[in-house]
Amino acid sequence: MDLLLEGFQTALTPTNLLFAVIGVLLGTMVGVLPGIGPAMTVALLLPITYNVSPSSAVIMFAGIYYGGMYGGSTTSILLNTPGESSSVVTAIEGNKMAKVGRASQALATAAIGSFVAGTIGTVLLVLLAPTVADVVVKLGAPSYFAIMLLALFAVTAVLGSSKLRGFVSLFLGLAIGLVGTTTGQARLTFGRPQLADGIDIVVVAVAIFAIGEALWVAAHLRRKPLEIIPVGQPWMSREDWGRSWKPWLRGTAYGFPFGALPAGGAEVPTFLSYITERKLSKRPEEFGKGAIEGVAGPEAANNASAAGTLVPLLAIGLPTTATAAVILLALQSYGIQPGPQLFSAEPELVWGLLASLFVANTLLLVLNLPMAPMWAKLLQIPRPYLYAGILFFASLGAYSVNFAAFDLGLLLVFGLLGLAMRRFGLPVLPLIIGVILGPRLEEQLSQALAISQGDVSTLWGEPVAVVVYLVIVLILVGMVASRLRGGNGPSGPGGDPEAGSDASTDRERLSA
Amino acid sequence: MMYTRRGVLALAGALTVAGSASACGVTGGRQDASNRRLRMMIPNSPGGGYDQTGRAAAKTIEDNDLTGRFEIRNVLGASGTVAMQRLLNERGADDLVMTMGLGVVGAVFTNKSKARVSRMTPVARLIEDQEGILVPKDSPFESVDDLVATWKKDPGAVTVGGGSTAGGPDFLFPMQMAKTIGIDPRDVTFISYDGGGPLTTALLGSKIDVGMSGLGEFEGQIADGSLRVLAVSGKERTEMVDAPTLTEGGVDLVFSNWRGVLAPPGISAEQRRYLVDLFTTMHDTEEWREELRRNGWTDNFLTGDEFGDYLQEQDTRVETTLKELGLT
Amino acid sequence: MSTTTQTDREPHAGEPHRRPVVDTAQYVLAGFLVVVGAYVVYDATGLEDGFSDQPVQPYAFPYVVGAVLVVLGVLLAIATRRGDVAEAEDGEDVDLTTGSDWATVAKLAALFVLNIALIDWLGWAITGAVLFAGTAYVLGSRTPVRDLAVGAALSVGTFYGFYVGLGLPMPAGILDGVL
Repeated sequence: MDLLLEGFQTALTPTNLLFAVIGVLLGTMVGVLPGIGPAMTVALLLPITYNVSPSSAVIMFAGIYYGGMYGGSTTSILLNTPGESSSVVTAIEGNKMAKVGRASQALATAAIGSFVAGTIGTVLLVLLAPTVADVVVKLGAPSYFAIMLLALFAVTAVLGSSKLRGFVSLFLGLAIGLVGTTTGQARLTFGRPQLADGIDIVVVAVAIFAIGEALWVAAHLRRKPLEIIPVGQPWMSREDWGRSWKPWLRGTAYGFPFGALPAGGAEVPTFLSYITERKLSKRPEEFGKGAIEGVAGPEAANNASAAGTLVPLLAIGLPTTATAAVILLALQSYGIQPGPQLFSAEPELVWGLLASLFVANTLLLVLNLPMAPMWAKLLQIPRPYLYAGILFFASLGAYSVNFAAFDLGLLLVFGLLGLAMRRFGLPVLPLIIGVILGPRLEEQLSQALAISQGDVSTLWGEPVAVVVYLVIVLILVGMVASRLRGGNGPSGPGGDPEAGSDASTDRERLSA
Repeated sequence: MMYTRRGVLALAGALTVAGSASACGVTGGRQDASNRRLRMMIPNSPGGGYDQTGRAAAKTIEDNDLTGRFEIRNVLGASGTVAMQRLLNERGADDLVMTMGLGVVGAVFTNKSKARVSRMTPVARLIEDQEGILVPKDSPFESVDDLVATWKKDPGAVTVGGGSTAGGPDFLFPMQMAKTIGIDPRDVTFISYDGGGPLTTALLGSKIDVGMSGLGEFEGQIADGSLRVLAVSGKERTEMVDAPTLTEGGVDLVFSNWRGVLAPPGISAEQRRYLVDLFTTMHDTEEWREELRRNGWTDNFLTGDEFGDYLQEQDTRVETTLKELGLT
Repeated sequence: MSTTTQTDREPHAGEPHRRPVVDTAQYVLAGFLVVVGAYVVYDATGLEDGFSDQPVQPYAFPYVVGAVLVVLGVLLAIATRRGDVAEAEDGEDVDLTTGSDWATVAKLAALFVLNIALIDWLGWAITGAVLFAGTAYVLGSRTPVRDLAVGAALSVGTFYGFYVGLGLPMPAGILDGVL
């Protein structure tokens, strides 16, 4: 604890505080833009930091990282344009809330949830980093494959009222995920080298959400004078708090371990959190129409995962995300080598960094919470401007990745797909999950089997994998049991009359 | 309604004023010899290997006022193939260079592109990175001999991991090494990881037997003893770790992961001389030496025609390796 | 994918009186799925075995995904025949009671294509402004001068933001040297 207090002394010097402020502001800005993310920003700022002290630089980078996680949610909620892949899920309920005049509440629950998760995550980081990190390297491809399988299994919960349409959407997503040359050969690239690295999930999400939505609205725009979206009351009501705090905690519980896992990342915990909240909610009918739990959970999850990422980074010098990899690079350029010896060799830097994470979190809350009602007013600008602005920023985001017109073409193609999905009532989330999970599932499976030389028994050769499979079986048994007891209890899948006949075939398809 | 409309206008106005006041004419620039605006393409994302080298070179040139400002663009896609195609398309452009390296040579083949390195104008090779053979702390392999003996006995049973995809340096190195010691590269069990981080994890958890990669990303683990280096791939030992070269270990192979600078094809001899001179002057500066030291790069400077010959040789060698594996 | 824009003037879902209508446009979606699935499988047949004896070959996943897409397409066609209608997405700005205005969608798509075609030549500073103003006009704004001014301010502002703020040089197009 003394060490942490000393850390605060490092973090709270005027210079370092200034760098923290610059960091969170920059992070929020780049988080807002699709295309530019915290990893790229930190990388671009690397040369500048040669001239400042290591502590200041690392403190600024941590601010950018946390800020990016905040910023991504703002545009998700307001414009349906996720700035980062980790805030894609936030757009689903968040934007619906904004459309019915609850943007302030959505932004507030995102900000406070991020703060809560970031703080708890940082506490866990302080407690666990020195000791627990080498546990994570015990997990191999078989364990990750099991975890991905569990995630894919969980998808059935969000397939929507028509299982058929849910599967159509999921498999379209999986097909999009096939594009690229990850396997060493070009799949579905149509001979275009621009497609060799696959299609960026952010481009898909922005196209399906923002462009698809804008086109759909254009086709059905209310021509009569519009009633303005009410700003509503600016702050969260008692009820909102009551509905938010549990999702915050559960989101943190998902996000932190996934962040710490080498192949975990921030995306999977956000949608696991979403699915969990949807299952547990007392008002499942509100999901898809703007349920605050669907914003609170995923936003907590992505910030907690950012904190989790720092565990293996600091403890064994293992970067688990792109941003962490660039921060590691920065540390190395100062001649600092993260690892077990870091805590004893560079106490000032480490504890200064940890303290600055608390500072960054608080700064973000202080900066973002008062902004929520102001941002919400943005939705009152005239409709033509609002949708023109959405198209403008979505295009800018896609263009900024490579400055290539090709990416804008992709945006349009998937935007039209998004339009078609709205016309035909296809749910959006399964597609997004398919794009994220498909390639990972394949990568982990082929890695596991390549290492074992094709011996399938390797898949249950790790204890974690066995536990995960048991969980899947338990859920299955639970589902069957609840159906036998007379159909659709509150935990029944979706609660639609067709579920009985459909769910069994669902499972067969999953195991195929 | 009126209020917010005025708000939008005010915001727009403020943006314009701020823009024009702070930054008018950023794309302009005088075109005399000492102050030319050059463009540099980098075929991977900010923070990546080519990016670090390219930006370090550009910064050194700018800081020493050797030319005007550099406009750096990261052109991503297909491990550099997209950028190479663009370089080919900009035939004759006299203000463009591209930072690249061995990985791009291989990527062009695996992506079946026509934009081969041998078609571009060679400017300079700048640095090299040695590949290292890494094993976990408790690995049974104590030396290159141990590894070679076991590997030869049952080639498929030794799992080799690398931080690049098929065609990249971490892939080419084990394949060429296998061939050198008499193993059919097709029998090698190669597991591709998405960069140094995941490869470290796999090694630390003993999920694979051997890792082959540039050593920069493993400094920490090597220092604390959780990973050991059996050998390095260069001509000479490196200061970074205490390990023999492959040749000392009895394997007749020298392999280096180099990075350099190319210009588009079809530029004038004068322009080519200008670029070669520019990078030669840069190479001689104190700042560049500092960059080499800070980043742990080995100096490996080569220019003009000699670099051209080297490129030609690399191009053929990589093509042969990949052809044998059926990857081109 | 542009096929969907041609399915205009179909009887729309969610009409007040519910007759058992067959949503013919949905056959197009079913067909699209079959085509995509078939293409995924066809593409996979062109893949060779991996460089070593990979247990999971590059064509394994595409075969599964493609085949399931074809099956789903067929199932959807059957469901459509039985009178399954899509539940089109509702929303605050969406008015499902009047028919669909595909002309507006086509105009927006055209603006987008225009942006794609011209961006390399004219640069973002110009095409971005045109995109903004054009979209606003199509969506019903009738103050073109002001729209252009706002659009230009946004696009030029973002241009400098990238160029100066982040050090990412956005191509200036024909304004190279002016901006």
